[in-house]
Amino acid sequence: MRKGAMRRRDFLKLVATSTTGAVLFTGCGIGDGDPEREFKIESPVLNPVDLVFGRDNWYATAAGECGLIVRVFEGRAKKVEGNPDFPTNLGASDARAQALVQEVYHPDRIAQPLRLSGARGSGEYQNASWEDVLTELGNDVNGARGATLVITPPLSGPMGQVVNEFVQAVDAEHVTYEPEDRIVLREAVRRVFGTDTLPTLDLANTNFLVSFSADFLHTWISPVQFSRQYGEFRQGREDVRGTYWHVSSRMDGSAANADRWLPITPGTEGLVALAMAQVMVSEGLVDRAVAEQVYSGISLDQYAPDAVAETAGISAEQITELARRFAEGQPSVAIAGSLAAAHTNGLFNLTAVFALNYLVGSVGQEGGIILNPPPPFESDVPGPSSGLPYSDWSGVVNDLNSGRYQLVIVYGVDPVYGLPEALGLREALANAGKVVALSSFLDDTTLQADLILPVHTTLESWGLIAPDPGPGFQAVALQQPVVNPFVDSRAAGDILIEAATAAGASLPWPTYEDAVRAAVDSLRQLNRGNIDAPDAKQYFVMAQAQGGWWDTSETAESAPDAPETPTPAAQPEYAGDPGQFPLYLLPFPSNSLGYGETANLPWLQALPDPMTSAVWSSWVELNPTTADRLGVDTGDVVRLVTPRGSAEVPVYVNPAAHPDVAAVPMGQGHTDFGRYAKGRGINPLDLVEPATESETGALAWAGTRVRVETTGRKVRLPRFEGQVPAFQLEGAPIIEVIPSEH
Amino acid sequence: MRRYLRPVVFGLVVLVLLAIPVVAILARSYFLSPTAQPAKAQPIAFTHPFHVNTLGLDCTFCHRTATTQASAGVPALEQCMFCHRVVPTTNKPNLERLVQAFESNTPIQWNRVHQMPDHVKFVHSMHINAGFDCATCHGPVEDMATVSQFRDLRMGDCIDCHRQNNARTDCAVCHY
Repeated sequence: MRKGAMRRRDFLKLVATSTTGAVLFTGCGIGDGDPEREFKIESPVLNPVDLVFGRDNWYATAAGECGLIVRVFEGRAKKVEGNPDFPTNLGASDARAQALVQEVYHPDRIAQPLRLSGARGSGEYQNASWEDVLTELGNDVNGARGATLVITPPLSGPMGQVVNEFVQAVDAEHVTYEPEDRIVLREAVRRVFGTDTLPTLDLANTNFLVSFSADFLHTWISPVQFSRQYGEFRQGREDVRGTYWHVSSRMDGSAANADRWLPITPGTEGLVALAMAQVMVSEGLVDRAVAEQVYSGISLDQYAPDAVAETAGISAEQITELARRFAEGQPSVAIAGSLAAAHTNGLFNLTAVFALNYLVGSVGQEGGIILNPPPPFESDVPGPSSGLPYSDWSGVVNDLNSGRYQLVIVYGVDPVYGLPEALGLREALANAGKVVALSSFLDDTTLQADLILPVHTTLESWGLIAPDPGPGFQAVALQQPVVNPFVDSRAAGDILIEAATAAGASLPWPTYEDAVRAAVDSLRQLNRGNIDAPDAKQYFVMAQAQGGWWDTSETAESAPDAPETPTPAAQPEYAGDPGQFPLYLLPFPSNSLGYGETANLPWLQALPDPMTSAVWSSWVELNPTTADRLGVDTGDVVRLVTPRGSAEVPVYVNPAAHPDVAAVPMGQGHTDFGRYAKGRGINPLDLVEPATESETGALAWAGTRVRVETTGRKVRLPRFEGQVPAFQLEGAPIIEVIPSEH
Repeated sequence: MRRYLRPVVFGLVVLVLLAIPVVAILARSYFLSPTAQPAKAQPIAFTHPFHVNTLGLDCTFCHRTATTQASAGVPALEQCMFCHRVVPTTNKPNLERLVQAFESNTPIQWNRVHQMPDHVKFVHSMHINAGFDCATCHGPVEDMATVSQFRDLRMGDCIDCHRQNNARTDCAVCHY
């Protein structure tokens, strides 16, 4: 045998030993993991957002004037619905509320503080830490006492209170921005109904509704509230189907729902309303004494239908029929807004229409206009208020240009986009010492900032909102974070509180959440409303669960008998010579993008316009005869020329368009605002001559004339209805639009 | 006789050798039996008797997912702090430890009392929803100053109980 070779016996021994060893050690071994972890079980510090995997949670919160509930699944907001308990919307919601989730998870959301690294407006930023930027902001605020400008939307509730306290503590000035037609509306409501809060409607009990250019189903003040009511108005009663007429110079989504649409010349809404009043008085349908009180200072006899028909562009018979139906179909309601407010005579248009409600006794009555009481806040918590009118913005711009402001803080608004180019706010901001934007997105105003501090989006924020318009009684929506912040953002209120503290001033609350809690506690001390809880903590939890506070018994005090301040009749004025600029330029708020504030959200960009079904773009609506005269068809690119400037957009030929009108949607034409909005379409406000409404000083954004020039180019206008025209099938005739009989 | 000695001794040696693993396994089974283990000290001496008997809390108040998930869940410190924010901590070292861990953002590593091998899946919600009380497996936790394992909870125990309650006993019920 070879030396060193294994013998059979040795082999068997080795096998036996190793087998026994293997059995023994396997038997004694415990588990196969890392003993350090294997025998430990961990209590995390914070509760996981969703404790149960595979189960969703619904949380109540709020946005705008709607109470919402949000489905949260594994820590992510998935779906927004209306809060069925909250009295303004009672479970209804709209596309804008639904799209709030896209705001949270937007790919272009600003994820951490940014400091300008290039020239202003270049969009070149570098990352910064919160610690640094807050110290910097504190120093800036401290160094710019008396020379700080704060720009926000009109804020009510605790956020308004924080801003007010901040402004006082650091000796700053505060201006507010909101769409300009809203300013006219607020003033009209103040004059006619004597309230600072906007009114709501009781459409569920209305028999006859006439809307003067108010697209109340899509854009006018509270479309969710009114759309829900509109369902009741049409189908909620067994014996009555409400009748709805619409008077406007553009057929919008609401007009398309009307029983009759009267296409008037732009800016003549007030005139038609006076003619209606004249008919009702002369035919004895309403009390003459009431009419004289309501329209004091205006001689109604001058406004007989025959006298105004030509100016208004509709027939005297149509006006007379409208007036009779309005008077006889009680309870009836007349509303006006949007385009009616955006002319130089906007306030007259609105007051003349709202005053009609007094003639038929529907102010504060069932089926009529329901006034809202002031919100239930303490005296130092602001309620609804107006934005700064355009005429005052000119003053702000002058001050900016003179170098008066060393620091400008912008939160929650984009005035560089929302105010016309003609104002020169973009250039004026360049003269401010420093611009700080509290913003989640790089919108046109934020783009001018030296320092950008990202803030929480709606679904991540605390807040207490008095809906405006409310539901006809006192109601407050509680906004709570339904998800943790997705990026390294802060609450805007906290940023202001910290900045004030760093500047050596102190605000009454350590955090913004404390301000909200304090405001909720003041509601508890009223000892009324929907919540019954033994202590403050429980009360707050109940308010969170229900989504707000409301007291159905606390309604508005009785309405005045007549408008407190009469508004004299006025004709609309237009910038531009009618010979050179033959058409009226009517910008209109988009049903999805509004005035442009939601253009960054792809769901809303993709939501078809109700009239044209166009998406993701700007267009100009032209009547077929106007289009024929110009030799253009849908998709042809035309140049819109106004005294202020020009822009190119594709045409949409719409048989329902007024022949003298070129209507362009608002909302597009952003310089940046993220990948979905950047460089898309045009902003019609860039074309608008800065005429103002004669009494309020608000921008008359529908007060400009336009000329349409052909360019010879053609594009495919993206629209839902498709590019192939309808064709006749045997036995299925196409419904044709034919001219009315007048 | 002598000629048989060598095979007998060889046989005995083989038997002893073979018996060693068997004895070792049985001994492990006896000495390492879960119920025979001494109660493990925990980083915070949480007292079940006080929270259950004195305060009257239900098990699911803290072990929130017992009725809905596979794991019964150990509460996050935040959950302890819901109450302990307002309970004074002076002269209570355990509470001081809790508050300190919460404030310094340090998770607590408890010593695991009930341990299943990785190849066994035990679903709490299934058993609770079938009507079993927590105490069926965990015993009178409300009387244990320091929690220890009450029941064997090894495969034989599982199968016995499944048979008694007409539950399935095929392998895939637990090994999947």
